[in-house]
Amino acid sequence: MTMSPAPASWEDVLDDELRGLLAKRPERSIEGKRPVLVAVDLYDLVYDGGPLPVVDLMEKYPASCGEFAWAALPGTIELFAAARAANIPIIHVTYDTRLETDPKKYHPTNRKRRQPDLALYKIKDELTPQQGELVIYKKRASGFFGTPLSAFLNELGADMIYLIGESTSGCLRASVIEAVSYGYPVAVVEDGCFDRYPLNHKVSLLDLHLKYATVVDLATATGAMRAASTAGKA
Amino acid sequence: MRAFEDYCWRDILTPDMTLVYSAYERERSVNAGSAVLVIHPDGNLDITAQPGWAKAAQKLVDAARAQGLPIVHSVVPGSDLSVIEPAPNEAICQRASDSAFLLSNLEAILTRARAKGVIICGAPMSGAVRATAVEAKSFGHKTAIAEETIGDEASLLLKVALFDVAHKYADVMSLDEMLPLVRASSK
Repeated sequence: MTMSPAPASWEDVLDDELRGLLAKRPERSIEGKRPVLVAVDLYDLVYDGGPLPVVDLMEKYPASCGEFAWAALPGTIELFAAARAANIPIIHVTYDTRLETDPKKYHPTNRKRRQPDLALYKIKDELTPQQGELVIYKKRASGFFGTPLSAFLNELGADMIYLIGESTSGCLRASVIEAVSYGYPVAVVEDGCFDRYPLNHKVSLLDLHLKYATVVDLATATGAMRAASTAGKA
Repeated sequence: MRAFEDYCWRDILTPDMTLVYSAYERERSVNAGSAVLVIHPDGNLDITAQPGWAKAAQKLVDAARAQGLPIVHSVVPGSDLSVIEPAPNEAICQRASDSAFLLSNLEAILTRARAKGVIICGAPMSGAVRATAVEAKSFGHKTAIAEETIGDEASLLLKVALFDVAHKYADVMSLDEMLPLVRASSK
């Protein structure tokens, strides 16, 4: 896959220091014959309340990413369709809501919580896992922490991962870092990632691009998926 | 203790950002019997944002040593260990991932040392320190960071990383606020 030019989403936070770091960024391969798409935490809870500003939704929907979640949805739907058309496995990562797995409620972060309706941890309808697609249930930030995700990646023969999901600065970021640490080339598809506030989203994407993975835009990802599909699988 | 948002990221905060993150505001503390984990950076990195981090971290390490608290050093092949020199009895843990926990024996070291929490210092904040703090929280450790004891390659990366960690994963305070808590502690 040829790399797209550096995505524009962080352009407005760049200063000279950051431009200097971007200029020094090493080339990082995102080639792979057997790519997998991993989607992290795309459940109803983060879309709750609709495509509205987070500050307006917070009172009633404290976990919602509002307008940012909904803005990412069309691109994510397109990415899922491209992956399925190219026979690229999709792995859905979501939260394990079984009460017995955390009776004392040790939460993954320090946010003071009102107990949400556990039904809101259902994956967004438009992104629902299809028959035969793997779902990984987790209790902590990274999709790998305490889960068999690594084992399934091995069994699929995965050699490259497209990663999307939320929050960009939280579970998505942690999953990218762990995937890269395990040796996988990772392409983060920026159109499929979102957060509750733009600065944290942009700076995490920038960190991921500088230090760990390659951030690409939707067109680059779907184009690469289509190209892999017509070229046939090795 | 200072107000929750009254730390080095204050100049990037907007009212909306404060509001969006308000649910993370809480009381902060350091567990007695915490271990101090020093994230030694790769010596090739140019830590220009808060370059005095090592002097501040040394003060923290000295205070922890005086209390007999466990000290662990997370290192990479390019680390310059003369910056914060490990004592002979202190564990040195190779870092194969930006998280000091992942692919290492750090968790075993902390359990054997009966560490009641983890105080993290080092660099870069937006790289290994953050990744380690996220995993420390994932492992269920009460985690704390003193804001002067971390450094980075870029100021904005340092501030946003410390902000993110302070809200979601660790108790962030100043060194002046942390030292009395460490000195009141003992193994």
